Amino acid sequence: MKDLAVRLAALDAQAGAAVQVIAYFDGLAEAGAGLQSIVRGAAVLAGCPARLDDTTRRVHIRMLPDGAAEAAPDRAGDRWPCLDAGTAVLALERDGEAGPVDAMILERAAGAARAVLDRTRGRAPATDEPALVELLVDATAPAEARLRAARLLGLAPDGTARVSVGHTGVIRISAVAADPLPGRCGVGPAVAIPDLPVSFEAARIALRFTADGTDDDPGDPVVRHDDLGALAVLAAVAEPGSVPDVRALDHATVPWLLATLHAVTTTTSLRAAAAKLRLHHSTLQDRVTQAEHLLGWSLHEPHGLLRTQLALALRRLQRNS
Amino acid sequence: MSIAPPFDPELSAALSVIGEQLPPALTPEMIPLMRGGGEVLPAISDDELRRDGRFTVEERSVPGLDGDPDISLLICRPTAPTGTLGCVYHTHGGGMIIGDNRLGVTEMLDYAERFSLVVVSVEYRLAPETPHPGPVNDCYAGLLWTAAHAGELGFDPGRLVVAGASAGGGLAAAITLMARDLGGPALLGQLLICPMLDDRNESPSAVQMAGRGIWDRTANATGWGALLGAAAGGPDVSPYAAPARATDLSNLPPAFIDVGSAETFRDEDVTYASRIWQAGGRAELHVWPGGFHGFDGMAPAAALSQDARQARVRWLDRLLNA
Repeated sequence: MKDLAVRLAALDAQAGAAVQVIAYFDGLAEAGAGLQSIVRGAAVLAGCPARLDDTTRRVHIRMLPDGAAEAAPDRAGDRWPCLDAGTAVLALERDGEAGPVDAMILERAAGAARAVLDRTRGRAPATDEPALVELLVDATAPAEARLRAARLLGLAPDGTARVSVGHTGVIRISAVAADPLPGRCGVGPAVAIPDLPVSFEAARIALRFTADGTDDDPGDPVVRHDDLGALAVLAAVAEPGSVPDVRALDHATVPWLLATLHAVTTTTSLRAAAAKLRLHHSTLQDRVTQAEHLLGWSLHEPHGLLRTQLALALRRLQRNS
Repeated sequence: MSIAPPFDPELSAALSVIGEQLPPALTPEMIPLMRGGGEVLPAISDDELRRDGRFTVEERSVPGLDGDPDISLLICRPTAPTGTLGCVYHTHGGGMIIGDNRLGVTEMLDYAERFSLVVVSVEYRLAPETPHPGPVNDCYAGLLWTAAHAGELGFDPGRLVVAGASAGGGLAAAITLMARDLGGPALLGQLLICPMLDDRNESPSAVQMAGRGIWDRTANATGWGALLGAAAGGPDVSPYAAPARATDLSNLPPAFIDVGSAETFRDEDVTYASRIWQAGGRAELHVWPGGFHGFDGMAPAAALSQDARQARVRWLDRLLNA
């Protein structure tokens, strides 16, 4: 296949190379080739390492262009060309310029891999099997039972995972990067499997900082606990709605106040805030002056902006308590 | 049509691409086409042979056998060898009808780097222009010269191995028989890669693989016909043309024989190994399931190819280092 790769690279007409890629992967499929063969074919034909990762099914295959298997280093290269193969992801570890038939290789190899995964590994285990998930995030459950639940959910007992909690109470455990749920969602940190209850508590805290993203409730619908930093301690405030600054927000009667404050505190200039709000900057200037009057503190000074941010955060905590 | 063993999945896929350029059946009219251009057999440059200066490369003209024309030997010597040098004397493949002394040398250089070997590859005359015994005599003459010049080439004459693939495997087996019978050089081993051994071309594997894979029964008849003419398959074929014809396979150096289960040569190669054992000799036999003829050369990245190459390396390691 080295010869094959040389020939493919040498072909002037990309159409000819594409036809050979198709013939190769069709040949693999017809012969009932397995995942290793498919990933190896992608690596050989592309001339760079190729990998297939299916966290749910715990399939990790990485092949070098000479056909040798090599354990996968930590996943890197977010700009690698990749394609979904069902629950798996097939990627070419190509950092430079794309090869002439990369897209064709990905398409054909991913299609073949998906078919093999569906045939040989069965349906992907549902990661939201509620009883197992609840067991995994329950710190009071026996450690043995939690590890068994992890295995049943297709999680490597010695790996890491993170918990996401949706506003409807749905809990999801994911071993890959963020896997946000629809709507408002808090995401906990990646932790060792036995520490998932910690990630769960963190995700619940993060969920309280989320907002609908509407004028009445401006803010981010997805909040990662990792990003909260020291703000997270605000979640311990017993009655955030009773804090005077929050009351000041709630008692304001102008409909644009919350959206304006959110924009001003999440951008680096009034001009940027105006653009975000789709307002002329002089209009925003007028509103800011009016808001300062209503609230009784400055929206130009860092201290005033911090007060505003804290008030907005505490208001979300009140709404999501 | 008889049922044939399936190809290994990866090899089957490679074959679906290769088959476009290399049909299973080759007829005599196709010989010029097969020889022409570098499309079927890519050319290997001196630079590739030198491997960034790790080998010196020379073509040496040496006498043919008994007044035959001079023959050319490609000699690649390691520039920084470790320990005692050995030598692999290589006879290239190509069905007796195509190829030159650079075909297959890349693999020999891999072994040479690993085991500190001089590589000598002989440019024998091809059939049908030169029928038997010309080609094998050229190979034997080159072997004699190589063994006699071990000192000049810098290798230990006790570490001389012959090696070849396909027709080159048959020629390597043949010169091993000649060396035994004619008082030639002592050989440490014979590395016979999917060797072409039997002109009779009627084994069950030859029959069941007709029209399939690489080098099918028709192609095999073309090769043997070119070498032997009307004598092919008849009663009077020399074992130096077709080693399967040898009645005595005793007192031979250790043999390594490998072959694919899905190729013409499967049964004749298995038989050759069995007959060496029956004669009290040493042979190591590998039959790679679903391998077509020459699979590891054409699809070196495939899992089965990697295993096949490693098996040869392990045999050489035992032969040279045990």
